[in-house]
Amino acid sequence: MSTPANRDPRVDQAALSDQDLVDLHEKQLGRHPDDGARYRLLPIGILFTLSALILFSGTYLNRYTGHYSASIFDENAKPTTGAPVAVKLDPVAVGRKAYGEVCITCHQPTGTGVVGVYPPLAGSEWVNGPSSRVVRIVLYGLKGDIHVEGHVFNAAAMPVFGKVANSAYNWNDAKIAAVLTYVRQEWGNKAAEVSADEVTAVRTATGDRKEMSEAELEQVK
Amino acid sequence: MKSNAVFFIGLFAALALSWAGIVLGSNAQLGALAPFYDETDATAYPQWMPGAAARGQLVYRDLGCYACHTQQVRRPGFGSDQARGWGDRQSVARDYIYQPAPQLGWSRVGPDLANLGDRKPSAPDAEDLLHLLYAGSDGMPPYRFLFERRHIGTGAQPSLDALKLTGTLEPPAGWEVVPSARAESLVAYLLSLRTTYTYPEAVPFSPPKAQAPASVGGAK
Amino acid sequence: MSTRPEYTPIDAASRWPLLLLLVKGIGWLVVAGILSLTASIQLHTPGFLSGCPLFTYGRTAAMAETAFVYGWLGNAGLALALWTLGRLAGEPLRAQSWALGGAVFWNLAVFGAVVGIAVGDATGFELLGLPRYVHLLMFFSYASVAVSGLLAWSGRLRQVSYASQWYAAAALFLFPWILSIAHVMLFTAPVRGVLQPIVAGWYAQSAWTLWLAPLALGAAYYVVPRVTGRVLPSYEFAALGFWCLIFVGGLTGGRHLLGGPVPAWIPSLAVVSCALLLFHTFIVLLNLRGAFTGSGTALKFISFGLAAYVLGALADALTSLHGVALHTQFTYFDEAQKQLALYGAASTLLIGAIYFALPRITGKAWFSAGLVRAHLVLTVVGILLLLVSLLGAHAVQSQGLLDAAVPFADIVRDSRPWLLAASFAQMILLFGSIAFLANFYTTACEILLVSEPAVFQAPAAQETHAA
Repeated sequence: MSTPANRDPRVDQAALSDQDLVDLHEKQLGRHPDDGARYRLLPIGILFTLSALILFSGTYLNRYTGHYSASIFDENAKPTTGAPVAVKLDPVAVGRKAYGEVCITCHQPTGTGVVGVYPPLAGSEWVNGPSSRVVRIVLYGLKGDIHVEGHVFNAAAMPVFGKVANSAYNWNDAKIAAVLTYVRQEWGNKAAEVSADEVTAVRTATGDRKEMSEAELEQVK
Repeated sequence: MKSNAVFFIGLFAALALSWAGIVLGSNAQLGALAPFYDETDATAYPQWMPGAAARGQLVYRDLGCYACHTQQVRRPGFGSDQARGWGDRQSVARDYIYQPAPQLGWSRVGPDLANLGDRKPSAPDAEDLLHLLYAGSDGMPPYRFLFERRHIGTGAQPSLDALKLTGTLEPPAGWEVVPSARAESLVAYLLSLRTTYTYPEAVPFSPPKAQAPASVGGAK
Repeated sequence: MSTRPEYTPIDAASRWPLLLLLVKGIGWLVVAGILSLTASIQLHTPGFLSGCPLFTYGRTAAMAETAFVYGWLGNAGLALALWTLGRLAGEPLRAQSWALGGAVFWNLAVFGAVVGIAVGDATGFELLGLPRYVHLLMFFSYASVAVSGLLAWSGRLRQVSYASQWYAAAALFLFPWILSIAHVMLFTAPVRGVLQPIVAGWYAQSAWTLWLAPLALGAAYYVVPRVTGRVLPSYEFAALGFWCLIFVGGLTGGRHLLGGPVPAWIPSLAVVSCALLLFHTFIVLLNLRGAFTGSGTALKFISFGLAAYVLGALADALTSLHGVALHTQFTYFDEAQKQLALYGAASTLLIGAIYFALPRITGKAWFSAGLVRAHLVLTVVGILLLLVSLLGAHAVQSQGLLDAAVPFADIVRDSRPWLLAASFAQMILLFGSIAFLANFYTTACEILLVSEPAVFQAPAAQETHAA
């Protein structure tokens, strides 16, 4: 069978009519590859290719889909099994952020406060003193005279920060602990860190109350 | 293939398979994705875009900015995204839940913009962006039609928002160039793009051997 | 065994919808060529037309893509699907007025889409830049054209069917579904956040694998055996290849989201699907390999298109892997791949089939042999040059992007010569399209004039060969 020469680029000649096209291909389908014990390599090759691709696909899907989890964005990762690992926060970073958002307005970026109005935090005997006192100051606020580094401050009240009645900020215990830890270790202060549990303990033991005063604080050991 | 019914049912089943698998599957996983509530900050992330920024996103789309800029930072170790200061972490699905028309893009003829508002080492400010839009750069065309050039009379004080232009771009005396409302909202949008908060799922995966204690939930 | 004359009453009766679709299609090819050239120039000379808001780069690129995919590939693919389905059915096309009306409104919709993008209504999704307000018109006009083709499929004279019919019927049947799903999920009741890019990616990959590729393959499956006169080798696997494409095609939806803000399983599924599609490509290559040894204009185009199709599938499978994608993602490589698939593969397969079909539809030979040769040379040279220059630009860009010390200005500067070459290639392709349009238009107009009909040799009877 010779194909037409097709020398004229303007018309392509057909070597097969429409009807033959359908009939001959249909006939081709009816034949079995190994008819008459003629063993053909190609069908085996095609099936082998398909199997190889399916094997690759299965392996790949098993390995690189993060078990179809919605929160896995790196295909090498696997979702952790069991309880999620507790998230550990850096209290100093959290405290610095909270300080920068609120406390900084009065106590200033360097913790110096404002002479005669807002007491300093840097080097303050209260800040570096027992943690039980500062926890109460931040939780419940402070009103009246307070002596810091030899000066008396009474012009402004410390607002209520804790999750207690009449609170202005409703900060949770962890956040209060974090900001205290930050303040107690910044600007040359070298006091111990404050734990959230301690804040919780004070808050649950004391309950709701009005602002603290200097006299009351001095009772606290 | 002799039976019409089997043929069309087959076609339909194939379409339904990929639709259910990819579209509905991902929708079931991410369709109700909630913002992440940070206990310490007492804030939910991400936050809604300001109104001007949401309008700007439509300007971004209508001008076709997505043809040259992506808004998706890839994870550390995959490309130079972190080294270029485009973002400290990879973009995750939660970053986009409040965006009416997320513009992930597909081409980096220009830099990635997902975290433009917090780009390292220094993020551009509104003035820089307006100037870039007006003047263009080596690879970026100018968009002068987003600005109005208007006559203010000689010796008059230019408007507060007039562009400070120098050299050949400087308008003649008595004229000033001010951004249009579209330019303003486009810039508001670009500056609102920031992925500073690190969600738990955005923490880079490190192989189990060298796993460092993860520090998450903190905003920088 | 009977042989049917080549210029049949079947074709004479159905020529008007076919000619309308074809002339519109080739017209859009020229429009898309002009827009692509504009967009290409804007890549190396950003200031070009920057004063005109209608032609920002993002808009010209989206307009060029829309005109090319929906204007050119859509029209030409529909025409050839109707023609092959009608011919293989063995009776004149039914519901012709539906096809004619559908063709008119489809082109109105494409026109509306291109103008809509120019004025800023593009949706911002790849391959779906169409403004939302033309979707409904596109859906109904496409369905209306498809009615005619599907009637030809279901009303075929004999029960048996041939591979061309499967591909053409699948493309006619599936596209309205894909478009309507994308429309509902992106516009009527839009999904949130990254789900939008996921739906759009699914649409783009489905439009390619379930619509454009089947249209082109259906035409090629018809023309190759008719010209070579041989039964397709390994034809018994053609059905497997077909169903492989149809079932796996849509699952490649996450191909471009690799490393992006979507759960890892979506791109991983695409990796696997791209690999499985290689099986389909392998079968197509086995079936149609006769095209490489045949003669005539149609087979020259089709063999080029077939080579591009295989190469494109290999590139798809390779670049979906993370290690390779690290170098190719977000670069001009994506653009080169798109051109390889849409122009190199789909378009040349359709062009080859049009060269075979038109003399049979009109009963006239093509007007000018010189223009046919010019079109062939310009297309082949244009596509090769376009690919080489985009790959060159990719090499510069990929190296630059991976090295954080290289500023963007350097990447722009170093890739400029390559992008200039790409613009030159777009110009060559545009000249080729103009030659094609001129030749087509003159030939089609000849129907109205009295002229010498084309001389067809009657195909020989085939019993001897079939044994």
